[in-house]
This record gives sequence, C-alpha cells and structure tokens, in this order.
Amino acid sequence: MKDVTKLILEDGAVQDRRIYWDQDIYEQELEQIFARAWCFLAHESQIPNPGDFITTRIGEDNVIVARQPNGQIKAFINSCPHRGNVVCHADSGNAKAFTCAYHGWAFGLDGELATVPLEHDAYYNAIERPRYAMHPVSKVDSYKGLVFGTFDAGAPSLRDYLGDMAWYMDSFLDVPGGVELLGPPMKSILNCNWKVPVENFIADGYHVGWAHAAALKAIESPLTPLAGNQAYDVNTGLQVATRGGHGFGVIWEAAAAIHPEGGAYRDWLAQRTPIMRERLGEWRSRFYNGHWDASIFPNCSFLYGTNTWKLWLPAGPHNIEVWTWTLVEKDMPEQLKQMMVATNMMTFGTAGMLETDDGENMEQCTGSNRGWVTRRGKLYSGMGQVREGTHPELPGIIGKGIVCETSNRGFYRRWAELMSGRSWEEIAREPHFAPNRQVA
Amino acid sequence: MNAPTQVQTPANPRYVDRDTLFEVERFLIREARMLDEERFREWWHTQLTDDIHYVMPVREVRMRADKKTIGSNPGAFVFNDNHMMLDMRIRRLETGLVWMEDPQNHIRRFVSNVDAAWADVEGEVDAWSNFIVYRNRRQRDETVVWGTKQCRLRKVDDQWKLARRTVLVDQRVVLDKNLYFFL
Repeated sequence: MKDVTKLILEDGAVQDRRIYWDQDIYEQELEQIFARAWCFLAHESQIPNPGDFITTRIGEDNVIVARQPNGQIKAFINSCPHRGNVVCHADSGNAKAFTCAYHGWAFGLDGELATVPLEHDAYYNAIERPRYAMHPVSKVDSYKGLVFGTFDAGAPSLRDYLGDMAWYMDSFLDVPGGVELLGPPMKSILNCNWKVPVENFIADGYHVGWAHAAALKAIESPLTPLAGNQAYDVNTGLQVATRGGHGFGVIWEAAAAIHPEGGAYRDWLAQRTPIMRERLGEWRSRFYNGHWDASIFPNCSFLYGTNTWKLWLPAGPHNIEVWTWTLVEKDMPEQLKQMMVATNMMTFGTAGMLETDDGENMEQCTGSNRGWVTRRGKLYSGMGQVREGTHPELPGIIGKGIVCETSNRGFYRRWAELMSGRSWEEIAREPHFAPNRQVA
Repeated sequence: MNAPTQVQTPANPRYVDRDTLFEVERFLIREARMLDEERFREWWHTQLTDDIHYVMPVREVRMRADKKTIGSNPGAFVFNDNHMMLDMRIRRLETGLVWMEDPQNHIRRFVSNVDAAWADVEGEVDAWSNFIVYRNRRQRDETVVWGTKQCRLRKVDDQWKLARRTVLVDQRVVLDKNLYFFL
C-alpha cells in the first residue's frame, strides 16, 4: 500500500496535487474509501413498492438497490457470478427477478440465485446455488429516508458514521412528512477528479461571487450583490466541519434566495418554521431557513434551499459522472415542488446557469496536474484556519463566515485517516483535530 | 410547468406543401446559423413567440416492457423554459462574465431530416428534424451532441416563429460538461 502520510499536511490545509491525478492513489481510494465508507445509494421514495429497484454505483462497483417483498431494502453487485456479465441495464423499474442476458441465470429481488437453465441436464444438480448469489452490499441502512450502503461489514453504524452531520441535517430531514428526491436524475460527465466537486460543495463559498458572477447578475435575487465580491459580510453565515469528513456552509435566511420566483417557497418556510423551532429548537430552525452548500463523505453533495442533490461517481482518477436530483419536502404542494424542480434545473442541472460555471473550473483544476512538475506541487486551502474553533452550542468545528475553508480541511483530514488503511476502531481511538479556540 | 417528453409522428400526418416545407427548412437552418453566430438576443426577439415553451426532458434507460413514461412525477428536464427563463439564460451570456465562454467557444449546428405536417391548430406546423452539434473549446476540448427535435411553428405577421420545441438528446449520460447552448 502506498504511504499516504505526506499527502495531506497542516491539519488538512495542504494537499499534494498527486491525489487528483495518480492512478495508484485512485486505486487506493477505491479500496480504502469507497469499499469502506457508507455511500449514498438512493432515497426510499424512489423505490416505494416491493420489486422497485434502481441501479447505481459505489465507487466503480455497479450496484442494484431493490425493495424486498417485506419492505426492506437490499443492495448487491450488478454482475453475474457465473461469467461476470452486467445483469440489469435499466436505470430503474419494477422487477420480480433479474435475469442475465448471457446464459439466463436469474436472481431474486434479494440477489439470491433462483433459476439456472439446464441445471439438471448440464450441472447434474451439483451447483451450490447459495455460493453464487450476487455479491451483497454488506450493510444497507437509511437515515430519515436517505439510503446508504457499505461493503465493509466492520464499518460503524450509519448513524455513527454520519455523526454530528445527522444532527445538522435533521434541520430539513425532520420536517413533518419528511423529504423526497425527485428524478429521474440528470446525468453528465466531467473530466475531473471526484474530490474537486466534493470540496466545491462542502466548503467553497469563496468561488460564488467570482465564478458565478454572471449567473448572480442574470438571476435577480438577494444574492446578486455577491457578484464580483462587491459585498461580503462575515456575519451572514458560518461553516461547519463535522468529525467524519462531512460538512457544510450556511448563509442565514437565504434558503429561497436563488429562486427566481421564490415567493411561494418563502411562504412555505415561514409557515413551517414555528413547527421546526418547536421540534428542534432555535438553532436548527435557523438552519432550516438558511441556504446550505454541503457534502456527505465521500461523494454525495447537496445545496439545501436551491435543493439540488448530487452524486459524484468516480470513473477513473480524471473522470466522474454527475447525477442530479431535486430535494423537496413531501408535504409541499405539487406546484411548489415543480417550482423547486424548475429552479434546480435552471441553476444546477446539466444546463444550469451556475453548474456550467463550475464544470469548466473543476476540469481545469484536475487537468493541469498532467504536468510532471506541476503535480509535485501542493494546493492550499488554509482560509479561516486562524479563526476557526469550537462553539458552545454547535457540534463540530465552526469556521467564521461562508467564505472559509474549514469544512474542506475536515474533508481532507478524514480522507487521510481512511487512506492510511487503519481500522475504524484505531481511527476512532486517535486524538482528532481540535483547535483550542472558541467561536462565538 | 407540464412539458412534453416525447417526439412523435401522428397517425395520419397532413404533410405540408413544397413551399411551406421550404419555408420551414429555411427557418430551422437560418435559426441554426443565427445561434452559431451567437446572435442570441436577436434570436430571442425575432424567432420565438411570447408563449415559447422550450423543453429538453431527461430520458431514463428503462426496459421496453416498463411503460412508465419518462419525465413523470413531476419529471426532470434539462430545459423546461418559457420566454422569461430563456431571457435570463441569454442575460447571463451578455454580462461578459462567463469565464468559460472567454476565449470564445465554437459551436456548429447541423440540421437534417427536416419534415413538417400541419398541426391541429389552424396555421401551425409541426416540424421534425435531427441535429448534430459540434463544440470546440480551448485548445482541443471537443464534444459532439446528437439528437432530434420536434418544433411547433406558428405564423405571426407573416413570419414563422417557434412556439414550442421538444429536444431529445440521444445520450443517457450527457457526454459533455454541460448543455448550456440552444438547439
């Protein structure tokens, strides 16, 4: 295994550029991160009925996620254990069984081998069917409708894995009726390393005023003054890095800000806020009304408020697929849901006014590391490091303001921990980064 | 905004006469050139009706036996734009702050397989065509998008205008970093 101890320095603030380019580091990520971490699979609302399924990936492993007759959700590798063929080619659907197109082996909704053509005449009934089930995802669990899976049977529980991020995400997951993801997902590609968009969503309030200046000007909204960094007030938001590599930035009172016709959404928030305050307290009712840019380690990101939900699926060290859904509250009226979908595709869809700004930067940030000398350099995300700290009421490490790189550092600290190959128990036992400073 | 998700030839199409087909073809080809030349504001002012509905649905890969239509509940669309939204997209380009478009990208639109039939509404035409769009950026960043589109054209003040367009891109995974251009 490659020694990765020198790749992330200064508490996550300095990254070796080879982590965005080298094939051997990427292979180690597939092993130490994607084959161990809890990865986002689906939202329960996408597969409500027995037999409903979707296909997705964990790292580069193709996976089927299926609703069982008893209501449970199972996931297994979408590859036939006979000769390896892909079994299911549909994005989603409803099935009684999954049948391989090559020799006709058929698998149940639970991934167990159910039917083998010529089992009697050619195998002489000597095939041990249980040995040839589709390879299961070791643990599948959901948190308030969000379904995750891990290949590591020794991974901590999903609730422990999400840690304090779950406490924060409750701010919008705990609404009466819950949330759902509307699809089907848009899919496109970017020639970038998978970590580049994750860091863009987890921590990058800095690029908003510059990279998105054109879109902010064209969409007349309360965020328009951010264009060109003409106005920035550190008190309008904060950033959070939670243990476990998750994190987000929030702009207060801005959930509906980017919606060109946000009136109905603002009314909705105003109507729900007292309920959320009652349920979760003052802080989280503020988070409910804020606009978030966020990532769940390793490769799931979202913008709460704009309500885009993203999965960045790695396809080699320099390529990803971008999958985009719309997050809405289930109880929202149909017309409001449609407005949320419209804003999401207008801003962060495949032809989104802001998405388009980001893609080019992400590709160029990756591609420049092609140069042998270039990639021996380091990158820097130390913004706000001298002011971040703990908070008397909020969990995690708090950075001041939305323009800050606190949660980026948290992401890379976690990345380095897992890449080292140390066990979950060892990692949990180690002292972890804790700045000796309080942030009010 | 409910939007069409399919392109279809009706059961008994009333194909247009030769002169009308010629006009439809010229409309689509001149429009493509106008867009290639980045005359977006002129396109918005002169080629579109005020009630334009410009749609590109997300197409899911599903088994043939699975009859659930694409883009349902309430659907996903790369574009589902009205006149105002198209204006907003063009205003973004007009700011001069779109770093990705500077230096200029080159986009070349090819229109083919044009056919047209009279629509149910008097004086309106449904036109079908296929397209290839070649994009070239920076030094050697190049992509090609293929697809088909169905257009509803309406004569306003003796001039054909686009009232509705459904664009189907023949890629489940869009093999490009975005589709921020008009087709």
